[in-house]
Amino acid sequence: MRLSQIFATIAVVITGCILLYGVSDFPGFGDPHSPANAGVPGSESVSQYFITESYGDTKVPNLVTSVLADYRGYDTMFETVVIFAAGMAIFAILGAVGGGGQPREQSEEPFFVNGDHSRIIVGTTCRLLVPVIQLFALYVIGHGHYSPGGGFQGGVILAASFIIIALSSNLNAALRRLSEANYLRIACIGILIYAGFGVLCQVLEGNFLDYGLLQPVLLTDGPEMARSHSMLGVEIGVAFTVTAIMFAIYANLSSRGTLRDGL
Amino acid sequence: MIFAFDIVILVFLVIAAIIALSVKDLLSASMIFGIYGFLICLLWAEMGAVDVAFTEAAVGAGISAVLMIATVFNTKRKSSD
Amino acid sequence: MSLFIDIISWIAILGGSFFAITGAIGLFRFPDFYSRTHAAGKGDTLSSFLVILGFAVYQLKDFESFSHDWPVLLVILKLLAVSVFIFMTSPTSTHALMDAGWEDKVKPEIGEGKPNHLNDDCGKF
Repeated sequence: MRLSQIFATIAVVITGCILLYGVSDFPGFGDPHSPANAGVPGSESVSQYFITESYGDTKVPNLVTSVLADYRGYDTMFETVVIFAAGMAIFAILGAVGGGGQPREQSEEPFFVNGDHSRIIVGTTCRLLVPVIQLFALYVIGHGHYSPGGGFQGGVILAASFIIIALSSNLNAALRRLSEANYLRIACIGILIYAGFGVLCQVLEGNFLDYGLLQPVLLTDGPEMARSHSMLGVEIGVAFTVTAIMFAIYANLSSRGTLRDGL
Repeated sequence: MIFAFDIVILVFLVIAAIIALSVKDLLSASMIFGIYGFLICLLWAEMGAVDVAFTEAAVGAGISAVLMIATVFNTKRKSSD
Repeated sequence: MSLFIDIISWIAILGGSFFAITGAIGLFRFPDFYSRTHAAGKGDTLSSFLVILGFAVYQLKDFESFSHDWPVLLVILKLLAVSVFIFMTSPTSTHALMDAGWEDKVKPEIGEGKPNHLNDDCGKF
C-alpha cells in the first residue's frame, strides 16, 4: 500500500467518524417537530399541514403529487428543465465527438428478424410486452395523482419500452417509431406545456403556476378541481420531456452519437 | 419501519456498494450498481415512501443500468485503476 | 375455512422458498455456465410463481361477499398478472443469457468418455 493510499484511508475514516458523530444530533424518523418541518402559521408543522390540508386545497389524494406539482411546482418545472439541459449537453458532446450530422442510412430490416433463431424468442416476447409496458406507463402518468406515480416515473417507463424495441431488434427500428426530429420536438413541447400552464395563470392576472385561477378556462367545479386537472396537465408535460430525453440519451450513447447501428 | 429488515437491507447495500467500487470489470460494476438501485428501492418502499421507491425502480435500476452498459460497450470494459 | 386457506398459502410460499434455495444452491454447485443458468432460471421462475400464488390465496381470507369485497379480487388479479409476466420474461432472459454465452463460445463441460458433439458446434449457430 502506497503512502498516499494510507493517508486517503485515514482521511476517509476520520471524516466517516465525524459524520457518524453528527448523526446523533439528527431528529427522529418522521419527527413532526424537526427543524425542516417547522414554521407554518396556523398549523403545527409543514408535514402536518400537508397531511391534513392538502386534500382540501387540491382534491388530490396522493399528497406527494400535490406537493411535487403544486406547492413546489416551480422547483419541479426546473427539474424538468435540468433533464432537458442534460439531454442537450449529451447531444452536443456526442454530436461533436462522434460522427453526428451525417445522413442516416435506413436499413430495410423488418422490426423483428423472423428467420434468425437466436432473435425469434426474444423478439416475440418483446413484441408481446411492449404494448403492455406502454399501457402501464400511460396509466402511471394519468393516474399519478391518485396512486404512486407521475410524470417522471411514467415517462421513464415509456422510454424503457422504446429502449426495449431498440435492444431486441436494432436502433433503427426504435428510431422509426420515435425519430430524431420527433424526440427533440416532444422534449421541447413538454417544457412548453409545463411553462404554458404557468404563463396562462399570469395572463389571468395571478401568480406563476397558481393553478386555482384556471377555473374559468378548465370549466371545473371550483379552484380545487382546477388545481387537480392542472396537475394532470403538468405531469403530462413532464412525461413528454422525460420520455424523449431518456430515449434520446440511450440512442446517442449506444451509437456514439451517430444514431446508426446501436448495440 | 421494521428494524431487522432495515438492518439486513442496509448491510446488503454496503456490500453491494463496496463490490461495485472494487470490481475491475466495468460491466459487472454496472450490473452490481443495478442491484444497489433495487436495494435502495426496497429500503424506500419499506420506509413507506412508495413514490420515491417507484422512481428509483424505474430510473436507478432500469434506465441507468441500460445507459451505463451502453456506455461501457462503446468505451473500455476494464477499469484502469 | 380460514385455517384451510392458511395451510394452502403456507404450503405454496414454503414451496416457493424451497425452489428458490435449490436454485441458489444449483447456481453455486453446478459445473459450467449452461447448467448454472438453467438452475437459476428454472428455480427463479417456479419459486416466484409459487410465492405469488401463496400471496393470492392468502388474500382470499378477506373475501366474504362479492358486492362488498370485490377489491380483494382485484388484488388477486394483479398478483396473477405479475406472475404471468414473470412467466414470460424470466425464461426469455435466461434464454438470452445462454444464447449470448453460446455465441461467445463458452464451452459446455461434459464428463469424460461421454459422446461430445457440443464442443465442435459451439459458437456456430
